[in-house]
Amino acid sequence: MKSNILKYKFITSFIIALLFSLNAFAQDDASNYRMRFKFKTVKQHDNSRMLEVSFIGQNKKDRKDKIPVFDAEIKFYNEANLLGTTKTSNEGIAQFTVPENQNYTTDEDGYINFTAKFEGSDGLDEEEDDIQVKNLYLELNLEEIDSVKTVLVKAFTIDSLGVEIPLEEADLIISVGGMISKMNLIEGTIEEGEFEFEFPTDIPGDANGDILVYSIIEDNDDFGNIIQQKSINWGTFKTKSVKESNTLWSEAAPIWMYIVLTILLVGVWANYIYTAVNLFQIKKEGKELELKKE
Amino acid sequence: MNLEKRKRELAKEFSPLLEKTTKTSKIWIGFLIAVILVGVYAFFVQLFRGHIVTGMRDNVVWGIYIINFIFFVCLSYSGAFISGVLHFFKTPWKNSVSRIVEIITVLSLIIGPIFILLCIGRLDRLHYLFMYPRIQSPITWDIIAIMTDLIGCFIYLYLTFIPDFAILRDNSESASKWRQKVYKYLAIGYQDTPTQREKLHKITRTMSAMVIALAIVAYSVLAWIFSLTLQPGWNSSIFAPYFIVAGLYSGIGVIIIAMYLIRKYYNLEHYIRKVHFIGAGIILLVISLLFGYFTFSEYFSRWFSHKTHDANLLDTLFTRYFWMFIFANYIGVLVPIAILFFKKFRTIKSITFSAVIAVIGLWFNRYLIVVPTLETPYLPIQDTREEFIHYTATWIEWSLSFAGVAAFILFFILIMKLVPVIPMSGIIDNEREQLKNKKSFKKIITE
Repeated sequence: MKSNILKYKFITSFIIALLFSLNAFAQDDASNYRMRFKFKTVKQHDNSRMLEVSFIGQNKKDRKDKIPVFDAEIKFYNEANLLGTTKTSNEGIAQFTVPENQNYTTDEDGYINFTAKFEGSDGLDEEEDDIQVKNLYLELNLEEIDSVKTVLVKAFTIDSLGVEIPLEEADLIISVGGMISKMNLIEGTIEEGEFEFEFPTDIPGDANGDILVYSIIEDNDDFGNIIQQKSINWGTFKTKSVKESNTLWSEAAPIWMYIVLTILLVGVWANYIYTAVNLFQIKKEGKELELKKE
Repeated sequence: MNLEKRKRELAKEFSPLLEKTTKTSKIWIGFLIAVILVGVYAFFVQLFRGHIVTGMRDNVVWGIYIINFIFFVCLSYSGAFISGVLHFFKTPWKNSVSRIVEIITVLSLIIGPIFILLCIGRLDRLHYLFMYPRIQSPITWDIIAIMTDLIGCFIYLYLTFIPDFAILRDNSESASKWRQKVYKYLAIGYQDTPTQREKLHKITRTMSAMVIALAIVAYSVLAWIFSLTLQPGWNSSIFAPYFIVAGLYSGIGVIIIAMYLIRKYYNLEHYIRKVHFIGAGIILLVISLLFGYFTFSEYFSRWFSHKTHDANLLDTLFTRYFWMFIFANYIGVLVPIAILFFKKFRTIKSITFSAVIAVIGLWFNRYLIVVPTLETPYLPIQDTREEFIHYTATWIEWSLSFAGVAAFILFFILIMKLVPVIPMSGIIDNEREQLKNKKSFKKIITE
């Protein structure tokens, strides 16, 4: 079903895109939509950085009516340096991953300036958005301290001299990976660059007991989004061990079965015996009558 | 009323049925014996060559033997049930049909289990069932239920025969000596004294209640043989009541057919009247509605939940078994309903026709319960030869099946040669009851 919706979205956005670029009538239609050009950055667990643009047209009258702009070429810059170019997907999302070893140009306060740019087409105007983030390092350590499973998070920046400067304060989420989405365990605050959390003991994990633990800083004004993750075998997969002592597969049947069967059979056979006794009495009386007649 | 005189009259009236054999019935008996002999030959072929001569293979391990087994055993249980109800509630018109029902009950309970013996691959290991029974196994329950029920039905049938044996013993001077000896032995000195009569009525009534309960238990156990497995089409919580209703449906059908044939060939129009057919027809109508409801409920829930294997089974039913499915579950239910629902259609012939349709439909219904499920197993089998995947009954199986039906009819005829099909004691009891009511009515008037 989802694929169908996507297919329809694709067709719709394709038609809209055609309308936008091809004729004046389309221009009138496009004018009904306000373009939403959102840019964000996520520093990923391998310290690479993902730059993401969401390019959606939203109906001015009906806000629920959103149409993704697909196949739009987005250019990502650090200051004037072009980092890369990518196109929006069917959902209007353009993602570009900058490797860990990328050297960024920073301003005097240490901020990295990123710019995402759509240069416009015949039907669509030029769009541009920028963000400034500091390069924050998030370290996630999973340790057993005195047999207590502990999550340790360390957050710091590095100055121009290579000195680690602990993060003063920021909101942090610790979560674990689930089948469909992440499950939050705690929403806390990093203070003085550190955060400690006692990991719960009742999380099952996957079939092998492995758990993917995430530490996430989300939509921070200075650092953007940063995710760190680690897998660990901390799952406590509790299998209910029910001892099947008296199942139907065992040699002996459950006791209630013997009782029920015995009651039924005794009841029936008692009635048969009662009938037989009465028949003998009838026979006896018949014999006596015969003897009397003789 | 002079009871002795009346008994003599009745014995005289019914003795031609017992003693004289017409040319037609001789031919008929000869034909039945011939069918049975073919069956015996088929049995020996199967015995010496093994089950390879049947259509049963690794996949479909149960064929028409088990279908006949279910059919006859259900017939028997329904007979016991109906007979018990007739006796226990002293139904006004029971006298004309009760013996037919009782004979059907016992005979089908003898014939039915023979089919399961034919189905067993290793008959030489049969005694293991008794030596090493597993109380947990529904097969063990079924063996216990059938044996207990068979004994109960025999006792019950015998109890209802005793007064007639006594009448025949006292009034069959002209009968052959062996016959007189048999009557004397089986009448166990019954003289119809008030104490004897009271004792016999008491135990017959208790046994009638007992056979109703036994029939329900045995029916359910038979259904559980199927429904306690996880097989698609069998694993159903309503199978036990469904079997009870289906059994009653076929039971009533066979009773109507037997009533029609006996009435016609023994000229018993005076005893088996139209009112009996209409009564039985209305019961058939009610049961057909119930059976239709259960059938719909059973298939509808399977179709709606649409589990993969259930869907495969339904697909098989609507393709390979389409016409059988239509006959069993549409024609076999709707035609009797359509005929019996309207008062003006309720003639003896139309009611009998409905019964025939119902009985054939029920046999097909049994076929559709057993075979298609086995043809759609959970695990695919390795050998994909046509005869391994699909079941087709061979002439051996058909011969033995027809031999079973022939044996059923032959034994019915032979029993009717031993005791009248209309219980004479029942006629006497009715007349005695009427006289008693008349006397008490007169007493009230004079008072």
